[in-house]
Amino acid sequence: MEGVKKLTRDDILELEAKPKSKVEKALDYVIAFLPTLFGIAHLLEYLLIPNHGMNKHTKIYTYFIGILIAVVFTFFIVGLFNKKVFAKLRYKAPFYSFVFFLLMAYDYLTLKTGILMLPYFPWVDRILNAAWSDRAYLLDCVKNSLILLFTGYFIGATTGLITGILCGYSKKVSYWVSPFMKLLGPIPSTTWIPVVMVIASSLFKGAVFIIALGVWFSVTLATMTGIRNVNKDYFDAAKTLGAKGTQLVTRIALPFALPNMLQGLIQGMSSACTALLVAEMLGVESGLGWYITWQKSWAEFAKMYAAIIIICITFITVNWLLTKIKRALLKWQEEVD
Amino acid sequence: MAGGGGLVASNCTLQLKGVSKSFTRTDSQEITTAIDNINLDVKDGEFISIVGPSGCGKSTILRLIAGLIPPTEGSILLNGKPINGTSPNRGLVFQEPTLFPWLTVEDNVAFSLKILGKYKEKKKEVDRLIELVGLSEFRNSYPHQLSGGMAQRVALIRTMINEPEVFLLDEPLGALDAFTRMNMQDEILSMWRANKHIVIMVTHDIDEAIYMSSRVVIMAPRPGRIKKDLIIDLPYPRNRMSDEFIDYRKEIMENLNF
Ligand SMILES: Nc1ncnc2c1ncn2[C@@H]1O[C@H](COP(=O)(O)OP(=O)(O)O)[C@@H](O)[C@H]1O
Ligand SMILES: [Mg+2]
Repeated sequence: MEGVKKLTRDDILELEAKPKSKVEKALDYVIAFLPTLFGIAHLLEYLLIPNHGMNKHTKIYTYFIGILIAVVFTFFIVGLFNKKVFAKLRYKAPFYSFVFFLLMAYDYLTLKTGILMLPYFPWVDRILNAAWSDRAYLLDCVKNSLILLFTGYFIGATTGLITGILCGYSKKVSYWVSPFMKLLGPIPSTTWIPVVMVIASSLFKGAVFIIALGVWFSVTLATMTGIRNVNKDYFDAAKTLGAKGTQLVTRIALPFALPNMLQGLIQGMSSACTALLVAEMLGVESGLGWYITWQKSWAEFAKMYAAIIIICITFITVNWLLTKIKRALLKWQEEVD
Repeated sequence: MAGGGGLVASNCTLQLKGVSKSFTRTDSQEITTAIDNINLDVKDGEFISIVGPSGCGKSTILRLIAGLIPPTEGSILLNGKPINGTSPNRGLVFQEPTLFPWLTVEDNVAFSLKILGKYKEKKKEVDRLIELVGLSEFRNSYPHQLSGGMAQRVALIRTMINEPEVFLLDEPLGALDAFTRMNMQDEILSMWRANKHIVIMVTHDIDEAIYMSSRVVIMAPRPGRIKKDLIIDLPYPRNRMSDEFIDYRKEIMENLNF
């Protein structure tokens, strides 16, 4: 199409959108700036309002909020020059503001007024200090948890893909494996923890087994379903084009079942995370789950919360990565937006 | 090869000898006889159209020749040898495009070459065919981004790329608008005239059958059998308005009981 200007997707969306009035545009800028405002308001509240009773606060939280404000402000400045970034910020801004508001409210209810009391409700500054003072140990726990998680996950995922493909493709394998799947499937893998922890030669191996079991199950089931559902027409088409035997598996069945497989892998990750924490809390003497129970027994709630927050961040990051991988692999699917 | 012009003679023949096909249903003991005692001799360079009411076994015949299903009775011989399973030498274009949704247009067209390990030597052919059907701009698109007509054109060249000795087409142009359809008819014809292999096309469009084929096979249903085997003795390119053309149409219509 020579001579025709290439439009991008964003150009089209903008061209087709309803024109905005000046007031609406101005309002958009105000809203996009709100997170920065709320951040500053929170910072002032933290620094200026006197603490309740003997409560103390440090500079760590000042830096923490300062960095967050810097981030949303940079976001805003970049947004002034980049329409795509601005649109994203405009969409997220109310929620970011709300997060700052929540942080402020929590800080006010704990540090400033003592309405929510220690030791159950430490203010964020206290949690950050606890995490910072115990950082070497916490990092070690993160490392141990991740090693355990991914060892179990990879073992479960690999065996799950293999059995899933075999069950989906071969009636004979399915005959032997499916009944076990039906019987054991609805039982959460964490049920077996007490038994496995006793039988296994080491706690680590036992935990790996439990994690792998849950992953294996969801991956096998999803892969099997995916492969069974392959449209027969695709096999016929591939056969007339010369595909034979294993080529039909690798070129047709696997790509067709890929969305299911990825779904199983993501589901498996969430079951693996659960199994990991339960295993660590019940037996394995390392990792974040263990750290939580340990600190709780000492009534060190700030440290406990620190570990919980780190768990959240870790799991969110892992899931985010998996979703990114899924998107990249499935770009051939019809976009649903 | 296309480069050889219209003079290549590869002397291939396709014979259906007393072919019957019955289907058993999984949910009952009932047996459907899709086709019964079909005899057909196809010589090299023939373009055969199969017409007939729906359900008379047209698709079944193509699937049998493609080797996707075995005959219940009788035999199918290509160059004197019974066919055994599928082969890229007998290409089938399905009624639905059945493009692989996870591959781009280009990769769909190259699918067969990659499977057969011929991609390196025939890469240019992929480009040429995509250009031929006017889809150069869409070479990196995925099937869900194509219109029905575009998808069908990709399906056509995906099979064409093997230059099969027997080219089977199951209502390949049914989904196209009249204009694209006439273009595609000419494209298929020019491909056929270039390499003079066997083409067997199922169609429900009588004009299309007369316009394109050297021979029209008219079928009757329940059970599917050949009612009339008609040679279309007209030079190419054919004129849809000529008297002879209209006479052929009348003859076919009468055989279809209209
Ligand atoms: N796989 C199958 N299983 C059972 N019956 C089938 C199958 N394929 C075709 N048939 C039956 O065979 C007959 C002919 O079908 P088909 O060849 O598709 O007809 P056409 O293509 O001429 O419309 C129909 O009655 C159909 O129901
Ligand atoms: Mg049909």
